[in-house]
Amino acid sequence: MCGIVGYIGRREATPVLIQGLKRLEYRGYDSFGIATVGSAIEIYKKTGRISDGEAGAAGLAGSTGIGHTRWATHGEPSDLNAHPHTDCSGRIAVVHNGVIENYAELKRQLEGRGHTFRSETDTEVIAHLIEEHYGGDLLAAVNATLPLLRGSYAVLVIAEDTQQIVAARDASPLVLGIGDAEVFAASDMTPLLEYTERVIFLEDGDVADLAPGRYTIYHDGLAVERPIELINWCVEDTRKGGFAHYMLKEIYEQPQSFYETIRAGIDERVQRMVMEADEITLVACGTSYHTALIFKYLAEPLCGIPVRVEMGSEFKYFTPPLRGLVIAVSQSGETADTIAALKMAKARNCPTLAITNMQGSTVTRVADETLLMRAGPEIGVAATKSYTAQLAALMQIVNLRCEGAFDDALSHAHLAIGDVLLQDVHEAVALCAKAEHVFFVGRGPFYPVSMEGALKMKEISYVHAEGYAAGELKHGPFALLTPETPVVAVCTPGPTYGVMASNIKEMKARKAPVIALGVAGDTELAEIVDIFIPIPNTHLLVQVLTASVVLQLLAYHTACALQRDVDKPRNLAKSVTVE
Amino acid sequence: MQAVILAAGEGSRLRPLTRSKPKAMLPVANRPIIEYVIDALLENGIRDIVVVVGYRKEEVIRHLNRLDAPIQIVVQERQLGTADALRAAESEITDDFLVLPGDNYIDAGSIARIKEERNAMLVAEHQNPSNFGVVVIKNGIVREIVEKPEDAPTFTVSTGIYSFTLDVFSYLQTNEIPDAIAAMIASGRRIRAIPADDWQDAVYPWDLLKLNSRMLRGIKPGIAGEVDASVIRRGAVRIGTGTTIGPNTVIYGPVTIGSNCNIGPNTVIMPDVSIGDRVVLEPFTYVADSLIMSDVTVGSHSRIVSAVFGQGCILADHTTTYPSASLIEVGDRIQREEFGAVLGEGVRAAPFTTFKNCIAGNGVTIGKGKTVIGIIEDGTRVM
Repeated sequence: MCGIVGYIGRREATPVLIQGLKRLEYRGYDSFGIATVGSAIEIYKKTGRISDGEAGAAGLAGSTGIGHTRWATHGEPSDLNAHPHTDCSGRIAVVHNGVIENYAELKRQLEGRGHTFRSETDTEVIAHLIEEHYGGDLLAAVNATLPLLRGSYAVLVIAEDTQQIVAARDASPLVLGIGDAEVFAASDMTPLLEYTERVIFLEDGDVADLAPGRYTIYHDGLAVERPIELINWCVEDTRKGGFAHYMLKEIYEQPQSFYETIRAGIDERVQRMVMEADEITLVACGTSYHTALIFKYLAEPLCGIPVRVEMGSEFKYFTPPLRGLVIAVSQSGETADTIAALKMAKARNCPTLAITNMQGSTVTRVADETLLMRAGPEIGVAATKSYTAQLAALMQIVNLRCEGAFDDALSHAHLAIGDVLLQDVHEAVALCAKAEHVFFVGRGPFYPVSMEGALKMKEISYVHAEGYAAGELKHGPFALLTPETPVVAVCTPGPTYGVMASNIKEMKARKAPVIALGVAGDTELAEIVDIFIPIPNTHLLVQVLTASVVLQLLAYHTACALQRDVDKPRNLAKSVTVE
Repeated sequence: MQAVILAAGEGSRLRPLTRSKPKAMLPVANRPIIEYVIDALLENGIRDIVVVVGYRKEEVIRHLNRLDAPIQIVVQERQLGTADALRAAESEITDDFLVLPGDNYIDAGSIARIKEERNAMLVAEHQNPSNFGVVVIKNGIVREIVEKPEDAPTFTVSTGIYSFTLDVFSYLQTNEIPDAIAAMIASGRRIRAIPADDWQDAVYPWDLLKLNSRMLRGIKPGIAGEVDASVIRRGAVRIGTGTTIGPNTVIYGPVTIGSNCNIGPNTVIMPDVSIGDRVVLEPFTYVADSLIMSDVTVGSHSRIVSAVFGQGCILADHTTTYPSASLIEVGDRIQREEFGAVLGEGVRAAPFTTFKNCIAGNGVTIGKGKTVIGIIEDGTRVM
């Protein structure tokens, strides 16, 4: 789970690569490196953020080059383990995203044949294998090497004395960008947006031979045509502008992305699929898992359809009996665990639907149909606008099954979201920022909302936070409540209001400070809690959205108060493409 | 040459419209006011633009990010005054520069003249000078500025547009730029007064209607939405993508309509109307001389004249805005101005509501069949 980028054309390659890597930093950011074809292969690699080390790369010459930003899987983050990796002679350089499963065996064999390894990475074996087959024809050497590799890869290879990049992918994402007399390659399209809107999504097993202004794609040794797709994202969407963080920018984009997703609607084939289902299973990881749970809480009572939610990473260990529609929810469309689960569902002849933000991503190819959410590029590692856009997509499915009963609520929801963005949360932030633990509790659909609130809090502010169903707090976690442990409770009118209010009183009795989210004008609730944060009194579906947005703001401002690196929390990457 | 646009202030006299955005972001003819300022600068080849943001800054930043021009953004943490805002931008300034308010319209020709001068200000004639800084001029040189006086000595006012050299920063002693000007004059500096050709400010909410009709004169006609063949159009009409105009609707320009709106059938839109995005105008409704912001719904059989509707108002059928004049107090000043209605964000009105010379705050709810007059505070329920 790293990001790779390649450039071949008429410009100086280094600035293009550095810029591209910065756009890919969300995929990993513990070290980076680039290699160019200059007088020889010139390489610069470094541990740490790109912005801290880019000056050192400025001297690399040449208009052909490859780059890599790393999230360590094999070997700790270090200058040596950073990509690109070279063969023994230093004439061939490789960047790689993915995992080579049989690398230990290959490495033993290669060492037996006299190759010297400099790093602990799985990638270096690729460089040495290509070296063994290289006799002046780089494409042939790569073609001879790939069958030896087991696992997942997207690789870019360059060699001395040849203005050429060979690109190949299998089970890891790789996109080509077609410019005028120049070709780009990258893990996703965000680095390409500045230069071209014409992209090609490579298929698994594709090998592409790139030269300035020319490209040929091979599959199973035969030249193939892949369609050029036009991308309507614009590069402004990937810029932070004057915002302090991408995350804040993305929080503020939510009314728009929610509206766009609702407005895009559901196409007819997907509609038929949803209407025919007599059972729905959702597979997801992380934040997407929480949106899937919210869907369950909404769809089961409102549309009377059984819904199961499975965690992608656990799916293969118990492999539930599958029936009915299987929906994979993934922002990036590259989440390895979710894709593996989806493949399993397909093998059992279940109709499959992907809900993703990435046109052309792997999950869209595996699933029968795709429901695209319109969040636009999300750069902040913590999911915000993709979360609400996912909810938009899933709520539309609920609405469809209920014959449009929520048309009005959904078409006005963006106004309510815009409204809570103005909410002042600084009192709650002050409380959370000095706490060691924070509990998030809710009932019904607000239980997964609380889990998401807790996830946001811990991933960006590093404050330990747990999301609980309010009723479960009594079964254990109550022991942890102290006057220094704030509880964030979502308590809105409805069948859960009464019990929720008495839960809050129980917590107050343990002297825990309570921050409550309730509807505006609920003075009774405001009186019993320490801090009351109002959300607009609207439809249940909309309350789910507005409560979530308030919790995002709470996490964001707490992280800022604690001076965390909000966009790049430690140890995390946005899209988890390894299992 | 550089330019600093001040867009940090709320524009409190424009409340309730400035709840979620600063004055510079209020849309007239469907574009935020600040965009007209940026356009005028770009037309003069000034591309090095710094925008000072503060109040509801996220709105401004998001919008500026989407423009083509590379705009530098600086944040004024607390809105203390114009000079303080200028100090916030100091680190970005390396050259002679212009200062412009982000919430006034100015034509490109006036900028062309002031950018030739070092240390100058644009001045204009205004019929209510006591809302502005009144300028006393002798032989084209500024002698004195009197901020918002009770009795104005002349009708000449400062537009808030200045041309400065770098040493102005040493004169910024207080939080207001006019004080710095006074200090410069006192120390013998010559500040030239240059008359502006076309400068428009909106001080009070109803002024937006005037600004709106002025800006509508410049719209580019174009139809992107779905317009029924029976629709009658005259004059400059602009319709955004995804908008549907139903049969037998009549539109007399200048009119601009945003994207994803639903209008008609049998609706009449008369000149000087701006309609934002996602607006619904139901059948048999008549609109004239009005500024309708995004996400507004107006029920059928309504008559909307001289009205400003904030974002997300939902007005049921048979709503009337009735232009008349009564005494209204805004910001310690009592005035008499004729307009129909100014509604804040998210105002809801039940059927048969009549607004008469009314300013309704954000989130006001009005029960069935009421006639509302005068100022109504935010969140009020009229039953």
